[in-house]
Amino acid sequence: MKKTTAARNFASRALTIVQLIGHFSSGRRIFMLPILLLILIASILLVLAGGLSYVAPFVYAIV
Amino acid sequence: MSAVLGVSAYYHDSAAALIIDGKIVAAMQEERFSRRKNDPGLPKRAAQACLDQGGITAEDLDRVVFYENPFARLERVVMSSLEAFPHSWRQFPSALQSQIGGKVWVLDGIAAMLGVPRSLVTTVGHHESHAASAFFPSPFEDAAVLTIDGMGEAESTAIWHGVGAGLQCLASIPYPHSIGLLYAAVTAFLGFEVNEGEYKVMGLAAFGKPRFNTEFAKLLRLQSDGAFELGMEYFAFHTDTNIAFSPKLEHLLGPARQRGKTWNLGKDGDDQRFADIAASLQWITEEALLGLAREARRRTGSANLCLAGGVALNCVANARVLRESGFSRLFVQPAAGDADGALGAAILGTIALDGARPEAMTSAALGVAISTDAARALCTSLGIGWQEPADVLDAAAGLVLEGKVGAFARGRFEWGPRALGQRSIIAAPQDPGMRDRINQIVKKREPFRPFAPAVLRDRAGEWFAAHDNDMTPYMTTTSDVLEHRATDLGAVRHVDGTARIQTVSEEGAPEFFGLLNRMQARGAPPIVLNTSLNGNGEPIVGCEADALAFFLSHPVDFMVLGDVMISKGAVAA
Repeated sequence: MKKTTAARNFASRALTIVQLIGHFSSGRRIFMLPILLLILIASILLVLAGGLSYVAPFVYAIV
Repeated sequence: MSAVLGVSAYYHDSAAALIIDGKIVAAMQEERFSRRKNDPGLPKRAAQACLDQGGITAEDLDRVVFYENPFARLERVVMSSLEAFPHSWRQFPSALQSQIGGKVWVLDGIAAMLGVPRSLVTTVGHHESHAASAFFPSPFEDAAVLTIDGMGEAESTAIWHGVGAGLQCLASIPYPHSIGLLYAAVTAFLGFEVNEGEYKVMGLAAFGKPRFNTEFAKLLRLQSDGAFELGMEYFAFHTDTNIAFSPKLEHLLGPARQRGKTWNLGKDGDDQRFADIAASLQWITEEALLGLAREARRRTGSANLCLAGGVALNCVANARVLRESGFSRLFVQPAAGDADGALGAAILGTIALDGARPEAMTSAALGVAISTDAARALCTSLGIGWQEPADVLDAAAGLVLEGKVGAFARGRFEWGPRALGQRSIIAAPQDPGMRDRINQIVKKREPFRPFAPAVLRDRAGEWFAAHDNDMTPYMTTTSDVLEHRATDLGAVRHVDGTARIQTVSEEGAPEFFGLLNRMQARGAPPIVLNTSLNGNGEPIVGCEADALAFFLSHPVDFMVLGDVMISKGAVAA
């Protein structure tokens, strides 16, 4: 039962990822794909760093 | 034929709506079940209640439709953050966390919530949902449609043309230029909660004079073709998730009002400036809506107009649009805020499957019904005495005419933020002291908040100037009270001489129709003061237990709960 639910959740997420990539791949949005990738990586780093406080000096330096 | 569930969620006021075989079977907001005001979460209980009401299970659904495209919204968040960079830097992580961490996966969440295949869950556009919820439930075959809210995926405002089962977008105004966000920013400036206090601002406006017109013309720059732009230097919502306006707004209008401070209006009151600001906001909102409506009329040539989106809940503006825009008829359905997206999504799904539009809406009573059996069982378990008069509506009518304040919960609860006679506090409308009593003791809210009159439709013309239109059954407009009748309606006539009228028919609000008829049979005017059955800051009552909880914690004199009548004296110590 748990395996079935997990498989269904995985299939569901996969479909969303396909649709997300499909959305950003269409028309003039394709230029946003690298930006989206960069944002995803930056988001993961920020979450891992526990927020903005660790990177604050760099933030202030660039803005 | 088909069974389609529409869902709105993850911004504010989540909801579900079910259409089976072209009939709107049920439409409910999650807040009625979760008891969390404007609940934005997935509407699990509302969806289940809709399915129960339709006598089907999730497996019977042909389609589930979400009211906006989460990928298009993510695109707009990324684009607007890039456009506002570097000022948007602080907002960016939280905005992105909200999108990537939750909203992008909403379709998976809906599929899991219902236990249906993910492929069954589809999306439509945010403003398309709004437009569908406004046009297709209307009585019109041909109408211009205006959708005006804070923001959709990329637009804040759009003009549509609806004909038969079709809707076509003719023009739109992109985020961040938004009447809804202007209203939200000034709501925050006046010390109210955004997405909750907007209707308080509308009530406050009647106490002020629009002497800040010049300043507001800088905040919202209107153009001759109905388009507009915000003066972005006065706002901060595009760069900061927690602050709606920038310091420049305080330079323009003076210091913002402190949140939670007691209101002091009147000649020497220090809050008069804020009432004038509210009046100026109301003025510019009406001017913007009129410009859009005139443009919509020019583009469509239709005699009919439908409005949707949160701004369409501004009943004062709606009344002026009907008077001055050149349209003959105007329809605003009762849940015109974000909740209506669920209904619009369900309708669009139905049209995609059946090729035909659903039946027009004839009543807002689309929620769960009060059960008299459940009411009896609850009273018994709590030791509360009750009666079951032969005619509970007649008994309630008698108590109202004696000057008592009652809680009235019968039938299916209403769709939208207005109590329309299924979950209401009721009282006689004549004495202005009644308004103060209910405001201070029962509702515990600001003294400037008005109450609404509910009146039998056939007799409304005896008290009200503008009573015969498509909005009055749903309380989405106002009407002038006839001057010579002002003393008859002291508790429901607002300071500007208007009232937020509800006209009552047997088809639209059968419970209230019965009550008002009993009042009429007793020789009294068939009008009752009506305000929502909820405590301060709470959602409107949903089930029997919510109603009893309200009754036990608020000083009302009696309660009608299904066929059961409870009076305060019958409550066990």
